Amino acid sequence: MGLIALFMLPFLGGIAAMAVEGRRPGAERWAAIATMIGVLIVLAAMWAGGVDESGQWIARHQSDWAPAVGVSLTFALDGLSAALVALSAGLGIVAVVASWSGERRWSGLFHLCICWTVAATNGVFVAFDLLIFAFFWEAMLVPSFLLIAIWGYEDREAAAIKFLIFNAVGGLGLLAAVFALAAMADTVTFNAFELAEMEIGPRAEVWLLLGFALAFLVKLPTPPFHAWLPDAHTEAPTAGSILLAGLLLKAGAYGLFRFPPMLFPDATVALSGWGMALGAFGTIYAGLLACEQNDAKRLIAYTSIAHMSIVLMGVSGGVYFALLGAGVEMIAHAFSASALFFLMGSLQHRTGTRDLRALGGLQRRAPRFAAAFSIFFAAALAMPGTANFLGEALVITGMFQVNWIFAAIALISLVISVVYATRLLKGIMFGEPKSTAEIDDLNWRETIAIFTLGFGTLIFGLLPQILAGAIGPAVDAALAPFGK
Amino acid sequence: MNIAYLLLLAPAPALAGFGFLALAPFPMTRRPAALIGAVAGAAPFFIMLPVLFHCFGGGCDPAKIAPIMTLTFGETDVALALGLDGLSVIAGTTVSGIGALVLLYAVGYMAEERGRDVRRFFALMNLFVAGMLSVTLAADSIVFFLGWEIIGLCSFFLIGYYTDRPRALVGARKAFVMTRIADAALLAALLLLFLEAGSVRLADLIPAGVAMTPERQAMVAALLLVGALGKSAQLPFQTWLPTAMVGPTPVSALLHSATMVAAGAFLLARLAPIFAAAPMVAGVTAAIGLATAIFGAICALAQTDAKQMLAYSSISQIGFMVLALGLGAPGAAMAHFVIHAFFKSLLFLSAGVLSHSAGGSTAIRALAGGSARAPMAFLALAAGAASLAGLPFVTAGWYSKEAVLAAAWDAGVIGKLLWLLSLGAAAVTAAYAARLILAAAAPGAMNAAPNTDDRHSDDLARPSIRAPLVALAILALLGGVLVGPILHLLHEAHHDLAFIAVALGAIAPLLGAWVGYRLHAGGDAWLHTPFMRDARRGGQVDARYQAFVVRPFRRFKNRIARADPFEIRLPMPKVAAAEAEAAPIGGLLRRISRWRRARRPIRIRLPGWRAAEPVARLDLVGQATVSAGTFITRLATRALQPDRIDVAGTGAARAVGGFAEFVRRVQTGRVRDYLFALALGVGVLLLFA
Repeated sequence: MGLIALFMLPFLGGIAAMAVEGRRPGAERWAAIATMIGVLIVLAAMWAGGVDESGQWIARHQSDWAPAVGVSLTFALDGLSAALVALSAGLGIVAVVASWSGERRWSGLFHLCICWTVAATNGVFVAFDLLIFAFFWEAMLVPSFLLIAIWGYEDREAAAIKFLIFNAVGGLGLLAAVFALAAMADTVTFNAFELAEMEIGPRAEVWLLLGFALAFLVKLPTPPFHAWLPDAHTEAPTAGSILLAGLLLKAGAYGLFRFPPMLFPDATVALSGWGMALGAFGTIYAGLLACEQNDAKRLIAYTSIAHMSIVLMGVSGGVYFALLGAGVEMIAHAFSASALFFLMGSLQHRTGTRDLRALGGLQRRAPRFAAAFSIFFAAALAMPGTANFLGEALVITGMFQVNWIFAAIALISLVISVVYATRLLKGIMFGEPKSTAEIDDLNWRETIAIFTLGFGTLIFGLLPQILAGAIGPAVDAALAPFGK
Repeated sequence: MNIAYLLLLAPAPALAGFGFLALAPFPMTRRPAALIGAVAGAAPFFIMLPVLFHCFGGGCDPAKIAPIMTLTFGETDVALALGLDGLSVIAGTTVSGIGALVLLYAVGYMAEERGRDVRRFFALMNLFVAGMLSVTLAADSIVFFLGWEIIGLCSFFLIGYYTDRPRALVGARKAFVMTRIADAALLAALLLLFLEAGSVRLADLIPAGVAMTPERQAMVAALLLVGALGKSAQLPFQTWLPTAMVGPTPVSALLHSATMVAAGAFLLARLAPIFAAAPMVAGVTAAIGLATAIFGAICALAQTDAKQMLAYSSISQIGFMVLALGLGAPGAAMAHFVIHAFFKSLLFLSAGVLSHSAGGSTAIRALAGGSARAPMAFLALAAGAASLAGLPFVTAGWYSKEAVLAAAWDAGVIGKLLWLLSLGAAAVTAAYAARLILAAAAPGAMNAAPNTDDRHSDDLARPSIRAPLVALAILALLGGVLVGPILHLLHEAHHDLAFIAVALGAIAPLLGAWVGYRLHAGGDAWLHTPFMRDARRGGQVDARYQAFVVRPFRRFKNRIARADPFEIRLPMPKVAAAEAEAAPIGGLLRRISRWRRARRPIRIRLPGWRAAEPVARLDLVGQATVSAGTFITRLATRALQPDRIDVAGTGAARAVGGFAEFVRRVQTGRVRDYLFALALGVGVLLLFA
């Protein structure tokens, strides 16, 4: 039951937010926050129970739904899923806080979209019936599409449609592969645990894996499937950017982490080199592009692509350190990227621009803002002490075990990260202020939200044991096909 | 009790000071911020001091470590710890001691800054002290690298302290990028060693590194060397240090002369056995060290700005340390590390006071009259410069430099050559040190430039500025007594030099000082010779980097980012920097660049492709995906134009429309018509019935 609550709560919470809108000013915000807290409480209660005898699962649920077509209510939660669910609920709160100020039309619907995005991603993280997984996968798109299309900036419609088309095409690959896979079973089933036992021919495995991978790589996103992300991030409202960077991208990484090794072990091994190569290309390509952006949000979006490409490298690595690093980097990037979008959104709200050439002088005008930027600047650089460093160092270690060329490329991306991170800081913090307008420093609500994210980045960087322990079993499961 | 546990306390106060100053949720005025910063930053020294005495008393045991925590990744244990051995104690005490004095000085020096900026300054300085202590005390590669990167980050923010000065950002960014390149190499080496040893403990990494196959060993040693060279601003990475001098003087004194830049030398000393086992790399290390020492000394001689001169001097002096390390004498290197920290921070601090008294100018010419305006600072400067020059017997610098020279003297025939060359570098060092003193001793205006803002003129009235100057001056002159114990602590025999070597070693600095005097007395003409002009600009290396590394990189990323996917231009490098053309080997470059300039860009247009929107052009691959998608869609839909289904649908709709029109007409709304219809219907029904 608890498993179902993880996505039903925010689903209902969204409806509640819509229902209470206007009863009292800000009621919908508190409704949304209350649901997220509810999710966290349910999760904590389940997590406190420890893992079952298999050593991996915190909770599993299986019951029939439509046995005739093989659809069952199969849900499971392990450390990796739990960490991601906690992340999505936490970032849901941050998203609400980030959009606190200012008038907004249809505020109830806005918070419904936030809640439903969280609901759908939570569904993705716990669903092990592939049809339900695919349903949640598509369901993620709708609320985030609305967030961009209704509450975005100037070019919101085009960006939203681009976002929808890319991800829908990716989702199509997933859906086709899921149906094909289910049809291959003796009795049609969508249960991933049952399908994992099934023998598939090597060629079919590769094709099915490519179908899954299309969806995951578009969502991750890694070049050449990334074109939707910079536009979507640039045009999305702050809450949308936070959910995109923190949740939707993680869904892609999670999918790659979980399903290919489980369902298509041989193809996963066969294609791992391609995965690493794609990740290596992506991290350099997106890193270089990030160095060239004048739009701060676009710059951060490209850094997201660069970091998620490192995750792709790690996920495809097939050695313990690489996979562990990919898992850590996923979480770390969720913190740092959503915090940067948060800050940039607040800054844009105050100054009306996100053009790095028009900003500047923040160190003088708003020191708390500048301090917050500095923290996540360090995280974007993968400074030791931040979780980002841990993730990247582990991936690089793993790459040294597999192929030193990929390790060298990942190290080069570390150098490039200095160039784009200092560009961001240069545009925002340094120099003379370009306009004389006063900028309000971060208010207490924003300060708390941002320092919570910063605290998370540091705590997971300095006490990596917490994360490593939580996602360890999932890493072991993902390593199974590599026979290590 | 294991005294090593005391080490855990050493970085703690500085870290706490940083945390408090950075995070305390209330505004703070200048004075409390400075006091908290100075007290927290100085506290580590008083924790290191008993450890140092304990060590000199023979209590240093490399096996003693203070575990921080152990992390488990799968089957690998990653044990974080601080270690107590000769090297860590010597470096740790030096760093915390210099840190304490510089922070004390900064309380006075920064007295006129705004409260918010003072708070930021002291927070970063405290973080730096904590980071530097974790570099020096680390017993494992993770804590080491953590500190290593923290000091890099602090360096970035402190160079860029004056955020509204454009040069601050340029210098900070340059330093950060260049050291990061080296850091990537260091990280690679540490990770390779970790994979080899299955442990992060330095005590395990070193034997594992020594036991590797020669090729791997050479690679790891080379990567470590690159890491050290970058941090220590050695050739070919030296160009970031002179531009890093835009930060406040205490930053230059602590980070960019005494401690952080010397961290590369410390790294090489820490992992010395690996270099001892890779003689090729050790030879390269010695060669680079010596080349840097000579190069830095010549560049320093040519400077017209005191801070720039001291920057090149740091580069050169660390070159001596690297030379000693390449020769397998980490003891001599560490002795010079300690003594250099004394006199170089002294030079920066006293030069800072003198430049304040000269109205803020750091030009060497502006020092004139300094001896009258700020006599105490002048005496401190003189003590530091004498030690830098290595005046025989009376200064500490002489003893530590002798240790380095002795290591060269004992290294066989090639060693003699290295000894001779480094003696030359020492002579040049004495020459520029003499220039500095003589410039300050020259008569000059009692009150500096007319447009001086007078706020700093009372620097020497502050005890917090006088005390560090006195302490460091004493150390710079008498610190030579420490050289013996340091060598002893690091288990290195004191090399005994032949009498002739000692004599020549004593004559060289005197000769150099005489040359310096002649240059000073003979006017400025020599400074304007082409050679000196080149040397003043660091041998034009920077301009060449700009022309051959930075600009191509910029162009490359530009090209990727702004490339029009439908218009492929072959890369066309622009004209090489004019500065590079003016350089001595400019002739060849000029010809190459002219040839390149003559090439026209070649455009390849793919037929039938529509040029992309200028805004969307920023991303070649991304735009290509989108364009390919629309292209395929267009191809696929062209056959369907006009849309048959649509036509059919429209026709159907029209038919429906006609019917609807009929229906609409039927519904006339008149009761009579309805009654008529009703009657008609009833009639029809009756007919059928």
